[in-house]
Amino acid sequence: MNDHRRVFLTGLWLIVTLELRQRVRGVSWYVLLGIFMLLVGIVTFLLWLATSAWLSGGGGVFSTIIYFVLLLGTLVSPALSGNAINGDRDAGTLATTQVTLISTGQLVVGKFLAAWITALAFLAAALPFLIFAVVLGEVSLGTISVSVLVLAAELGVIAAVGVGLSGILTRPLFSIVLTYLMVAALSLGTLIAFALLGTATQQEATSVNYQVVSSTYDEKTGKQSDIICSTAQTSTYPVPRFDYYWWILAANPYVVVADAAPGSFDENGSPTDLFGQLAVGVRGAQTPPELYSEYNGCEEAANGYFDQGISTRPTAQETYDGAVPSWFIGLTIHLLLGAGALTWAWRRTRTPATHLPTGSRIA
Amino acid sequence: MSVTTVFGSGGIVPSGIAVTGVSRAFGSVFALLDATLTVPSGSVTALIGPNGSGKTTLLLMLATLLTPDAGTIRINGHDPVTEPERVRALMGWMPDTLGSWPSLSARAALQTTGRMYRMTREQAAVRADELILLTDLTDFADRPSRVLSRGQKQRLSLARALVHSPEVLLLDEPASGLDPAARASLRQLLRRLAGEGAAILVSSHVLAELDEMADAAVYLADGRTASPEQVAAAGASARAWRIRSLDDAALERALAAPGVVGALVQVLGVDQLGTLVQVENEASAAGLLHNLVLSGVPVCDFGPAVGNLEHTFLDLTRERPARHSSIVVNPEVKP
Repeated sequence: MNDHRRVFLTGLWLIVTLELRQRVRGVSWYVLLGIFMLLVGIVTFLLWLATSAWLSGGGGVFSTIIYFVLLLGTLVSPALSGNAINGDRDAGTLATTQVTLISTGQLVVGKFLAAWITALAFLAAALPFLIFAVVLGEVSLGTISVSVLVLAAELGVIAAVGVGLSGILTRPLFSIVLTYLMVAALSLGTLIAFALLGTATQQEATSVNYQVVSSTYDEKTGKQSDIICSTAQTSTYPVPRFDYYWWILAANPYVVVADAAPGSFDENGSPTDLFGQLAVGVRGAQTPPELYSEYNGCEEAANGYFDQGISTRPTAQETYDGAVPSWFIGLTIHLLLGAGALTWAWRRTRTPATHLPTGSRIA
Repeated sequence: MSVTTVFGSGGIVPSGIAVTGVSRAFGSVFALLDATLTVPSGSVTALIGPNGSGKTTLLLMLATLLTPDAGTIRINGHDPVTEPERVRALMGWMPDTLGSWPSLSARAALQTTGRMYRMTREQAAVRADELILLTDLTDFADRPSRVLSRGQKQRLSLARALVHSPEVLLLDEPASGLDPAARASLRQLLRRLAGEGAAILVSSHVLAELDEMADAAVYLADGRTASPEQVAAAGASARAWRIRSLDDAALERALAAPGVVGALVQVLGVDQLGTLVQVENEASAAGLLHNLVLSGVPVCDFGPAVGNLEHTFLDLTRERPARHSSIVVNPEVKP
């Protein structure tokens, strides 16, 4: 059994290194990484200025760099992983590997690992800037570890989807485009669906008003007496029900990263980094809107004014703490998606093949 | 053709390739219909057939890449469908498409392939060096394989099929793109491997080439293998022979003279290579040569105008439409 595992891992690593030697082609690859580092450097510098990071700490800079790596990873990874299997079939190197003692599982998983490592290179290239942000202070160890781990997992999911689709579809162009569409559906599609569904599901909210028609004001006590109240004035208006659809946002990779990071707030309960701001927004969407509100001006006039409106509004931190965290749902969905794509690709790539997709050549 | 058996301690183990009644359809198009053949260990068998006759499909099935719809395949007694790993360990396959990892050198590609057959790093390096010498790739061994010419890639592909010293070798068009010297060494190499006990199946269009190295031939047309009787009949049918003489006029006179040309011989014409005559069988050819020599014609070349395999192939292909009129001809659908 142990020997089996060693044989499996040796073959797996052979595929990973072969893939990396094939895809990460020398100079152009390092130029790409260099450009990426330059961009991250510029972004870091501008953020440092914009957030007055020397005073407020590196939370804003850190979280933005993490997002930048996620953005670049999602833009580059599909192109590098989306033709891993069908590209080899086109080049005639798939079948010559399949007739060796390399199993389909080693082939698919090896290609996935290579694609993941390639995407993680972007994270590694951003490391100096992340360290710079941490040095600026105010970034908790929790935020650092969780956001980096979740980011790495999300990059892995994209690599898995790319490699999976390249095994499922015959034409490299289609699988690359579909991987991009998949990334776009998760990153932008969830936002659009959330906004559209929320605003399309409108409900009538009612507010009832009582107002003072006339009263006698006693200057000595500062109180009103002989208050004559108006009848109830009812008005209705439509409100969007975003609270029905907040879970759609859970599938957004940016939301997963933001929601997973432990919230960090200042003394006023306001978030100190981009993750916190986004997480508060997403978790705030869980709160149903008030469908019935009553304002009794007469009661207020009789009892004295309270600054009710201000005291009942929760702070960002209270909203954040009072809502259900959703990141693990989103991350689970993503992991299942990646695992499903790889499994399907494995089934399609298995040999001897019983079924061939139309127009495909096995060699 | 007969099934060869090896008598070992475990009893009778059929060695080589045995294919019985194999069919395979892609959608509604039949690529193979009832193909039957054997390739005994220690021999070279030619796989011959027109384009789209199912040669590549058959080789893909032997190479454990495709399952047959019906029929059985045994590679040294192992079923490629149920025991692909056993088959892969002893089978080498050279595909008709020349795929190579473009950024790897020939040496690195061979080492990687060796590692894929679970060799250690050192074993793979040694084997790669051997194969580079064997296939005469020394001068190109350390260049990335995308800069190799077609013939060099072809040799690399052959070397890759030989990495694990397979007992069964499947070669799909191995000679295409090779220069004459490389062809000759390919021929020698295959004969040597067969001499060492390998079962070799070679598909090719260069029939004269196969004539010189194959022990047997399998003819494939419209997905069917021709039966031994059909092959025998086609091989024995009337064919053209070419005669060259030092004295063209004497030859012409002798062929025109009564009694020289028998009833089973017919003069077809003269081309720049000599005079073509249609000869019914080998006995009448011998009779004709005898008569020409007796008439004093200085004959310097007397032989079949086309090789044995080509003659049989053309004959079988010619009669194909009549024989298989009910079968959908596979329209160049590659699997």
